[in-house]
Amino acid sequence: MKKITTYSLLVAILIFTQYVSAATPIIEIRIRDHLFYPAEVVIPANVKVKLLVINQDPTPEEFESYELNREKVIVGNGKAIIFVGPLDPGEYPFFGEFNMSTALGKIIAE
Amino acid sequence: MLLDIIILVLRETLEAGALLSVLLCVSNQSKHGLNWLWMGLTIGCIAAIFYAANFSAVGETFDYAGQEVLDASIQIIVCICLLVICCLLILQKQLCIVPVMTVVIALSITRELTEMIIFYTGFFQSQGDIGKALTSGFIGLMIGVSFGVLCYVAISSWRPATSKKLQIALLTLIAAGISAQAIQLLIQVDWISASKPVWDTGWILSESSILGQLTYAVLGYEATPTYPEVVLYSTVILIITSVSLVTFMQKSRTPEQA
Repeated sequence: MKKITTYSLLVAILIFTQYVSAATPIIEIRIRDHLFYPAEVVIPANVKVKLLVINQDPTPEEFESYELNREKVIVGNGKAIIFVGPLDPGEYPFFGEFNMSTALGKIIAE
Repeated sequence: MLLDIIILVLRETLEAGALLSVLLCVSNQSKHGLNWLWMGLTIGCIAAIFYAANFSAVGETFDYAGQEVLDASIQIIVCICLLVICCLLILQKQLCIVPVMTVVIALSITRELTEMIIFYTGFFQSQGDIGKALTSGFIGLMIGVSFGVLCYVAISSWRPATSKKLQIALLTLIAAGISAQAIQLLIQVDWISASKPVWDTGWILSESSILGQLTYAVLGYEATPTYPEVVLYSTVILIITSVSLVTFMQKSRTPEQA
């Protein structure tokens, strides 16, 4: 019984360690005055990343990228979570579909 | 801004326009009238207003995955409905085809119109030029409608038998594209594990180009699809191809047995 408990504990620790080490990096992007801050986001290549997009404008915006295959409406003064990657090294442009001429940015995977 | 709004509205209208034109051909050929269309549009408009009004609350559910989960669910239901319509057309059965078409229109309008309502609500809040925004939106809508009319004319100009085969082929491709979109939405919120793209045809046909947008609307074209999307897209096509083949084989056997 003792052995089973010890083994179970070891397995639990192993799973927890794996989980912590494989935690998805979180990158924050803010939308203010129909612009992305930062407009260039550097992320590690070949790793899945969680984008936390915070819209500080009172109006809604749509985060969109053809290269990343991502599309998400973010309400005014709201936030959204978008997972991207794993990506090959390179540049992946994104834009705000509701303000295409100003809300422009890119993700650089390296 | 004027051009931005035209493009925005056009992009939302293209897909619905293509789908609507094929369903109108199906309805016209089977003489189902247009009641299903008006009902679908009405339900879709009401549902879109309700969805847009509760968009924030929906989006925050499932740890901010609510928007994708609801949209993917809508897409999956539309895909299943389109497969049912294809099967009914292949089997030459008219049973329940009208309510299924109504569901497709209602759900498609809900999804596309919700985004428009949110966009225009935000535009009114920011006190932009409302007249210009509405005119631009109308131009985008009319270009999308023109595309739908062109599709309708192109499909219905063939002989009825050929037109029906075209309808089945297009509905299958639209359903396959919609299923891939649903997968993409679930990958976006990490409900389905992400993988690297299977291929990249962006250098041949960019998704952001006009032709790319049109092929996206009709064929579900995607320059960099992932494995789950390719698998589901192929499965949808395989299902309809199998049903068509089995039906064709049964039909060709029947005269011999008689």
